[in-house]
Amino acid sequence: MHPLRHPRNAALVGIAFVVMGIIYWAVPYYGGWHLDYAGLTMLIFLGAAMALMAYVLVAGSSKE
Amino acid sequence: MTSSSHALVPSEHSPVAGLAHDQRGGISNPVLGMLLFITSEVMFFGGLFAAYFSVRANAQQWPPDDFSHTLQILPLVGPATILLISSSFTCQFAVWAIRRDDRTAFLRNMTVTVALGVIFLLMQATDYSVLGSEGLTLSSGTFGTTYYTLTGFHGAHVFGGVIMLSVVLYRGMAGQFSSRHHDAVEGASLYWHFVDVVWILLFSLLYLLPGT
Amino acid sequence: MATTALTPAASAYRSGLYAWLTTTDHKKIGILYLINSFVFFFIAGILVLVVRAELAQPGLQLVDDAFYNELFSMHATVMIFVFIIPVLAGFGNFVVPLQIGAPDMAFPRINAMSFWMLPLGGILLMLGFVTGGAAAAGWTSYPPLSNDQPLAAVGSGQDLWIVGLVLIGTSSILGSINFLVTIFKMRAPGMTLFRMPILVWTVLVTSVLVLMATPVITSALIMLFIDRNYGGSFFDPRLGGDPILYQNVFWFYSHPAVYVMILPAMGMISEILPVFSRKPLFGYKAFVFATAGIGALGFSVWAHHMFTTGAVYLPFFSLMTFLIAVPTGVKMFNWIFTLWRGQLTLATPLLFALGFLSMFLIGGINGAFSASVPVDFALHDTYWVVAHLHYVLFGGSVFGVMAGFYFWFPKMTGRMLSETVGKIQFVLMFVGFNLTFFPMHELGLAGMPRRIADYSSAAGWNDMNMLATIGGFTIAVSMVPFLWNVFVSLRSGKLAGDDPWEGNTLEWGTSSPPPPYNFDHLPEIRSERPLFDLRHGRTHAGATMPDPAPQPTHSAG
Repeated sequence: MHPLRHPRNAALVGIAFVVMGIIYWAVPYYGGWHLDYAGLTMLIFLGAAMALMAYVLVAGSSKE
Repeated sequence: MTSSSHALVPSEHSPVAGLAHDQRGGISNPVLGMLLFITSEVMFFGGLFAAYFSVRANAQQWPPDDFSHTLQILPLVGPATILLISSSFTCQFAVWAIRRDDRTAFLRNMTVTVALGVIFLLMQATDYSVLGSEGLTLSSGTFGTTYYTLTGFHGAHVFGGVIMLSVVLYRGMAGQFSSRHHDAVEGASLYWHFVDVVWILLFSLLYLLPGT
Repeated sequence: MATTALTPAASAYRSGLYAWLTTTDHKKIGILYLINSFVFFFIAGILVLVVRAELAQPGLQLVDDAFYNELFSMHATVMIFVFIIPVLAGFGNFVVPLQIGAPDMAFPRINAMSFWMLPLGGILLMLGFVTGGAAAAGWTSYPPLSNDQPLAAVGSGQDLWIVGLVLIGTSSILGSINFLVTIFKMRAPGMTLFRMPILVWTVLVTSVLVLMATPVITSALIMLFIDRNYGGSFFDPRLGGDPILYQNVFWFYSHPAVYVMILPAMGMISEILPVFSRKPLFGYKAFVFATAGIGALGFSVWAHHMFTTGAVYLPFFSLMTFLIAVPTGVKMFNWIFTLWRGQLTLATPLLFALGFLSMFLIGGINGAFSASVPVDFALHDTYWVVAHLHYVLFGGSVFGVMAGFYFWFPKMTGRMLSETVGKIQFVLMFVGFNLTFFPMHELGLAGMPRRIADYSSAAGWNDMNMLATIGGFTIAVSMVPFLWNVFVSLRSGKLAGDDPWEGNTLEWGTSSPPPPYNFDHLPEIRSERPLFDLRHGRTHAGATMPDPAPQPTHSAG
């Protein structure tokens, strides 16, 4: 199967948001500003949700 | 009627193929719909967890002195957790059973699942009244508000799941499911597993994560 | 033209009230969405006409402060949640299954339920007006203001507002699931993802945003409800909570929401421009990636609404906000290059599309100013922001909705709208819109705050406010030709036929209105313009195609 068709790879879209979350945590943490836990939590949940959604949509699509 | 005609002639493929069981592969529509719904529920709990972490990070002391020993794993919450996790197993056994057309095993396992779900809810309700009598309520500052909101909405989802599973059980007893035709069972079980995963996360955060 | 003698005449599709109330047909549901949305558009419009009448001159002439707060709060709430988001869902409902060659949406009964939650939710929102005071803390409803009782009187308006919105949010989420399953599972054979019309792509990305973001505002609203009614302490600093937490969770939804409010309109424009310039859309793939990019980036900028709270990591959000201009710019250029050297037909849909392009451009530019933190510190909560949001939402989304309405009305009803009346509406709307909102740039720069019922005559804001009010009433006047056009055309508009515009996409390959099952036959699909291909002999219609020239073999009716 073409790599872009594999559901596991589609789930990588969730990684983008988790990475965003990591940046969102790391820069204030190492830069000395106060951490926004609420935003960080929401970004990480978003990453998980996006990965799940992308996986099921690609896995669930008809094969053609 | 006078209007331009396109000489469209019959196409071999029927556009309704996607509506019923999917001959073209992929996940069936109702199951896919349930999975997407679960995704939205992940985000709902995400908002609640966001509030929890934010509130907890800003607190001087967590749990606050008044409630430092209020949340106890025994005798109620720990066993309830074990029951809920077990119910996920029995739910999956039920799914496997109907996939191989074993209606007896399906019904048996589904009944146990529903029963375990109901017991979980009863134990949760009892726990609430115990906590209430110890002075922990929704208005007990952020500790009480977050505890009851998180566990309360989880409980509401368990309740919804129990209803869904009961409907599935009823339909199963009426003989509506077979190995080729049981989307509702798959959908309801996915939802039930989700509810279980949320509880494991919640339980770990509320009861296992060390305080400040 | 439906090509078999079995297809009933158009009059058979007109159904009684019961059929409309119980329908699960996506076409009827789409029309119901449109009707409900426009009813609430007029309601919210009347609310703001009172606001503009009050603000025309300094001094409180018409209403008191408390009622004024209810007016602007409910204007925005109703416009956002009961007009613009649902009207775009309504167009999606009607057009998407047709454009992908499907017979209906994936879950027709859930579709119907999603619709009916809307008038109910809208009524709940508005009920506050009669139960002692509607929500009055702004559509954003920040605590601690929203934590207290409504400002007007002791009433349940704020709670009704919360419940109404949770209901409407649920309707949106169910709709998004429906769209996603339909788009991914029910496309006609040959229609790969990259052969889908752009409108379908924008509805796809919009549905992802709705699915992911709406539950978050549901959680924020529920937490607010608990604080208000059960002694909760999420947002109360006296009890350990934090009002900024509400803003954080609220905007995590409400920022992606603005892309929910614009992307389908952009999709509609992307369908209309190629048809009326007789050229394919420039840069189809870039467009798709730009749309996905806007969707993804849209989740990373929410706190730019909170720059002035002091609780936000400013550089991150400012940078991400500037970044969003990039994919948006890509789209802008793609649209312009679509028009470039095209053979333009200046019909009403194209006029509104051109209005969209120019007005949305202005809205994008003034938004980019606000992305800069120091500029925002000065302009936050002033009329500059009101100008920005209306240039993108009215100049953008509403003009897009009007373009789509004129474009697809023939398909929905079988009748053409009057071009002359449409052009009159366009001119009035365009002039009125700019007269209303352009002065607000000046007002914002001059320091006029938002959400104030009155202002000092010494501030120097009188003339701009008067202009804005005149403009507002001009917009109201433009609704007269609009309604006239709709009602007269429904009765006696010119018959449209299958394909009055020489469209590119599948919906123009069936009758107007389509039969309940949508298609008798589907052509071969080899590109994102299947009907264009068929018309120009690039594809065959199927196995047994007699000859290209249409010869009706049955007499109709």
